[in-house]
Amino acid sequence: MTLFHFGNCFALAYFPYFITYKCSGLSEYNAFWRCVQAGATYLFVQLCKMLFLATFFPTWEGGAGAYDFVGEFMKSTVDLADLLGLHLVMSRNAGKGEYKIMVAAMGWATAELVMSRFLPLWVGARGIEFDWKYIQMSFDSNISLVHYIAMAAVVWMFTRYDLPKTFRLPVTVLLALCVYKAFLIELFVHVFMLGSWTVLLVKAVLTGAVSLCSLFLFVTLVHSN
Amino acid sequence: MFEEASEVFDNMFKSSFPLTFIVFIPAVLILVSPLPAEAAHEFTVYRMQQYDLQGQPYGTRNAILNTEARTVEAEVLSRRCVIMRLADFSYDKYQKALRQSAGAVVIILPKNMSAIPQDIVQQFMELEPEMLAMETIVPVYFAEEDDELLSIYTQTLTSSSSQGSLSAAEVLLHTATANGFQMVTSGAQSKAVSDWAITSLEGRLTGVGGEDLPTIVVVAHYDTFGVAPWLSYGADSNGSGVSMLLELARLFSKLYTYKRTHAAYNLLFFVSGGGKFNYQGTKRWLEDNLDHTDSSLLQDNVAFVLCLDTLGNSDSLYLHVSKPPKEGTPQYFLLKELETVVASQHPEVKFSMVHKKINLADDMLAWEHERFGIRRLPAFTLSHLPSHRSAQRSSIMDVRSVSPSSRHGAGEPPAGPHVDVSKLSRNAKVVAESLARVIYNLTEKQVQEEHLSAVVDWLTAQPRAAQLVDKDSSIVSTLEYHLSRYLKDVKRHYVKADKRDPEFVFYDQLKQTMNAYRVKPAIFDLLLALCIAAYLGMMYLAIQNFGLLYSVVRRITQPKVKVH
Repeated sequence: MTLFHFGNCFALAYFPYFITYKCSGLSEYNAFWRCVQAGATYLFVQLCKMLFLATFFPTWEGGAGAYDFVGEFMKSTVDLADLLGLHLVMSRNAGKGEYKIMVAAMGWATAELVMSRFLPLWVGARGIEFDWKYIQMSFDSNISLVHYIAMAAVVWMFTRYDLPKTFRLPVTVLLALCVYKAFLIELFVHVFMLGSWTVLLVKAVLTGAVSLCSLFLFVTLVHSN
Repeated sequence: MFEEASEVFDNMFKSSFPLTFIVFIPAVLILVSPLPAEAAHEFTVYRMQQYDLQGQPYGTRNAILNTEARTVEAEVLSRRCVIMRLADFSYDKYQKALRQSAGAVVIILPKNMSAIPQDIVQQFMELEPEMLAMETIVPVYFAEEDDELLSIYTQTLTSSSSQGSLSAAEVLLHTATANGFQMVTSGAQSKAVSDWAITSLEGRLTGVGGEDLPTIVVVAHYDTFGVAPWLSYGADSNGSGVSMLLELARLFSKLYTYKRTHAAYNLLFFVSGGGKFNYQGTKRWLEDNLDHTDSSLLQDNVAFVLCLDTLGNSDSLYLHVSKPPKEGTPQYFLLKELETVVASQHPEVKFSMVHKKINLADDMLAWEHERFGIRRLPAFTLSHLPSHRSAQRSSIMDVRSVSPSSRHGAGEPPAGPHVDVSKLSRNAKVVAESLARVIYNLTEKQVQEEHLSAVVDWLTAQPRAAQLVDKDSSIVSTLEYHLSRYLKDVKRHYVKADKRDPEFVFYDQLKQTMNAYRVKPAIFDLLLALCIAAYLGMMYLAIQNFGLLYSVVRRITQPKVKVH
């Protein structure tokens, strides 16, 4: 579908980021460099995660149909490093909570977009064969953006010293959900044999729910003081 | 008057001598001469078997009879000679006669044996061994029917059967005036024959090629068995076996005369006697050859022993073995050759191997090969009968296809066991062919279907177009290897097209991979672009108005905030 299709997918993937960057007021703060730094942190964290996984987790030698729940669960647990990374980024930035969250999330998500989605799009979407998965991938990047924003917000809330006791539990739950989102999605797919569009929908719904909850908590926290 | 007579006699004695002679001698002669034997009818009768086998007596013990004739319907049978016709014969009647201690039994066999209906033949064949098994002192005779005998029977029948159904006066009248028959035999009482020699014959064809050649033995017993020895013609059992053996001997002797077809096997033919009496001929022959002689063909290398027994009929062939042949042995080759020949040349024949272990506890051995098996020689019996217990092997009903006493008989085969010459010759061909293949080792020397099939499979597994088979191809090298196994001077020869005026030119790119890509029409891209533009537009609006959502949430979470 050649370049035009690539263009479509690229637009679908990148524009929301662009719009978000522009409209969240980050451009006024000259946060570009900080986003880049956040991106670099993302890279570093991913590298560490990969090393860790390669060293301590043996290759899965099961059949094609079986799904190693425990193994995948363990692997997803390693994604806790993501949270640490986000925390690191946010702690280094001075400024208001929202600013910190946005910067961290933007940088993180953009880095992820560049690293994990750009190459497949370039190689695949430009080919002759048409496949819906590229469009789906681009949608997925949109969902990831929202997801990372929510995750950053939850992390920020978690590290606040003035977090009320009642919030601890929901925040922890949300945190866990964020980390294990990928694992849960895979579980869903495996158990219910979902199609690709349905997966996207489930992802969107889940992310929407998580982000809504975190928004609620955030608003309550910020404006209760 | 008496005084006068005595006076005459006195004068005779006292007076001249010649007168006495003239009067006296004829009178004496007349008085003394034996009564002329004026029998109503004279006929030959054949007595039932009488023999002892391994100490056990069989058959009837008595031979003479001199009694009145009756038929079975009569009430009083004791010390009478009971006459029966084969058509009316049944085991109950026979037993009734014996129970009432009849003096003798005479069974009348019809003239035309081939015209007897099938069920009567079967029944009689089954009864023969039972009759023999019962040891009886009553002599049992068989006679061939003729008109006189038939009339005797009919008359006896009428008189016997009417005995019970008449009034007393009629009975009296009847006894006084009836025509009875007295049956008398001419011979003496039976006694054991001493020093009876059973003869067997052996002959050989020596193979070419040095000492210690393997030997193949072909055996058939020529004697027969039936309920009456004089009536045992034994056409199928074992006339067929002997005739096949003689034919094989003739064929192989012709082949052995020529140097080119003189094989490296010794052929030993043995026609044995006493076969029906537990193979006495074979037993003694084996003892002589194996125990009492220093060197004999049987002691050295015996490939196998083939016994022929009852092969003159039917479309099945059975190879009876006491031990299934092991692979690689000559017996196994013969088995395989028999199967191959039958399958390829005579598909109407059903051939199979029957395995029966030798049971030494039985009083009679089953087949002739068991004698050889006991002496550890590999042997089998070929027969069209599936079981050795078949009644066909020992029946007087086993006759040639046309009964000798009726030349005008119908051309159709008799109901009992008999020899069908076309089937016998077909079986002979099978045996001759299989033996020849084993002897001349022809298993490899004819078209082998498996070999052909394997080569065809290999060839058709790959394309062999001229453009694809170059000089290094595996097809060429395999063919080369294959030929060099059987031929000498296998060489390759190449042909290339002439440069200036080529006779042939080949082109390449004969095999390609094609991919099919799923594509959407160009309009789709435009449509998608529009959709994405719309979506992005919505996104933009949503993000622009994020503040709205924020305030809504804020309002929800802080319902208690009241502006004081």
